Amino acid sequence: MKTLIEIYLKDLLRNKMMGLMVILVPVIFYPLLYWGITQFIMIKNGFAENRDLTLHYKIENPEFSSLEDSIRSVSGIDASKTQQFKPDKNGLYINVSMFNDLPRYEVYLDSSNAFQMKAYSELEPKLSGFYETKINELIVRKNYKKEYFKVYKIEPVNIDGRNEIITKVLSLLIPLMSVISILASIAAASVELASGHSEDKTTETTLTLPLNRKDVIFAKFITVVIYGMLAGLISFTFIVVIMMHIFTSMIDKIGAGMADFDWSLIINFRNISLSLLSLTIIAFFVSMIFITAAGFASKRKEGNILVSPFSAIITYLPIVIVIPALEPNIFIAMTPVLNIAFALKLVIADDINTVFILETLVFSSLWAVLLYRFLFPFLLEEEVLLGYSNTSLTKKIKMKMSRWKKK
Amino acid sequence: MEEKIIIKNLNKEFYDPQRGIVKAVDNLSFSAFKGEIFGLLGPNGAGKTTTLRMMATLMKPNSGSIEIAGYDTEKNPQDVRRSIGYMSSSTALYPRLSPREIITYFAELNDFPQNELAMRVEQLIKYFNIGEYADTYSEKLSTGMKQITSIARTIVHNPPVLILDEPSSGLDVIVAQKIHTYILDLKNEGKTIIFSSHNMGEVEKICDRIGIIDNGKLLTVGTIDELRKISGKYYMEEIFIYFVKEFEEKVYNAHQN
Repeated sequence: MKTLIEIYLKDLLRNKMMGLMVILVPVIFYPLLYWGITQFIMIKNGFAENRDLTLHYKIENPEFSSLEDSIRSVSGIDASKTQQFKPDKNGLYINVSMFNDLPRYEVYLDSSNAFQMKAYSELEPKLSGFYETKINELIVRKNYKKEYFKVYKIEPVNIDGRNEIITKVLSLLIPLMSVISILASIAAASVELASGHSEDKTTETTLTLPLNRKDVIFAKFITVVIYGMLAGLISFTFIVVIMMHIFTSMIDKIGAGMADFDWSLIINFRNISLSLLSLTIIAFFVSMIFITAAGFASKRKEGNILVSPFSAIITYLPIVIVIPALEPNIFIAMTPVLNIAFALKLVIADDINTVFILETLVFSSLWAVLLYRFLFPFLLEEEVLLGYSNTSLTKKIKMKMSRWKKK
Repeated sequence: MEEKIIIKNLNKEFYDPQRGIVKAVDNLSFSAFKGEIFGLLGPNGAGKTTTLRMMATLMKPNSGSIEIAGYDTEKNPQDVRRSIGYMSSSTALYPRLSPREIITYFAELNDFPQNELAMRVEQLIKYFNIGEYADTYSEKLSTGMKQITSIARTIVHNPPVLILDEPSSGLDVIVAQKIHTYILDLKNEGKTIIFSSHNMGEVEKICDRIGIIDNGKLLTVGTIDELRKISGKYYMEEIFIYFVKEFEEKVYNAHQN
């Protein structure tokens, strides 16, 4: 099997067009897609109504208690008055105290959370309005001149520090871009090794050698996984370098203390090893699916037709996880590839959900067993493995199905 | 004479959604001896390739048996594979591997002794005159060069039986001539060679015995002189048409009755 893997890998790695495509696809495609999706979500957050968001507030001075009604009127939030002011990531926190007879606001939020940002955008005019009212009252009461007062802008404090957003974006972006690279490379490699080798009759020739059919398929499978991992590693390294460069220059432009951005928040052993582990698992599953799909085709053209729908679905699955409203659930845990990508997101975000991760492991193993038990035997059959049929692809599938039904 | 290939009552059926069960090979029996070139001649779809594929253990027969170099294809497929060199109708080379790499890898896959491997590869490169393009990716080679590489790869492990599916199809006369010379050399080394072809002249020129096949049935087997005697024709093309037409008439009459 080692020699076979060596042959397949050498042949694939020398395919310059395929290599170029595998690297270029994620580099061009993914940042645009990621940016588009996050923008879309930030703007079109109509689904925010479906999610409960708690706004914890504390009004220290009874003179400002009328602000309570304004706070409570913000749509889509569950306002909760609190005496102990301990901000955390799970809600929006406002502390209203008095400073020189005027309200002083302390706002804490998770600025990477679209729902909190939306709620805050509704809340801010109310807070500013209340402040204006109090200034006007003070002017009248104490006969001050209006010019004495400057309208100050409320600056909410991001609960995780100002590096949080960039850390979150990058820690998701980098592994996810590598996922796209893995998907693209595995799809191309599967078509080449399964359908292409049927078309070129190299599989046929290989099977006349003293080798086991299963070994030949496993060799193809392992080659595809290795090729996918290599592509993933190359793009992972490439993306990390590019991202560091882009974000460093962006941070420099933003200036104001952001230049000391701590890269170890993202590029650390834990994140890299977790990402690589997840990428390996994803490569394993995707290879199983693609090799099986491409195995039903006896020509590259047919292979591409068969693999394309799977590519589209599997490519979009990891992208789905950037949607902030998506909470871990059993359906995500049941969906191959998506579940692993989602688990990776949770682990990197330090939001470990043991039940979800266990469900993911159980369902992933189940999928692997099902694929091996029910689809793998199909691949061993001579019409499928060797592509012996001049009939059309649909006919071939029908033929396979009718035989299967007979059995 | 030692029988290297024995085929007995071989049958192979395919399922086609439109045509139902199709008989690709119908009760086929023949044998080939050591040091013999056996030509399998037949029109398109006659069942030649299916027969060769079953001999090469790629397909399993529905019934009947194939024995190659003393091994049954169903009972001892791995031993059969060790005893054969199979060349498919296309060159079947890995496009981005050079002839040297392909020949070396196939020797390794055939469990060729590691200490003799380099010498064997060089010997074949020299014999087939591959040296000039031995390190060029096969996708950049001409059809003739590919075909010669393919033959070298097929015989690298020195098997006693060679199964060649249309080895000279699509080649120009000069390359085809070279391939015929190589095949005759291999026969002189004592190898049993079975090959299929459409080319009547080629079959007439190099085959010791010829089997004509149509609709999965073996119509006749014999040396060229024997076939001439039976058919009363001289040229291979006429002999072939004679047997195929005779068979078609028989089938027609059977349907009429």
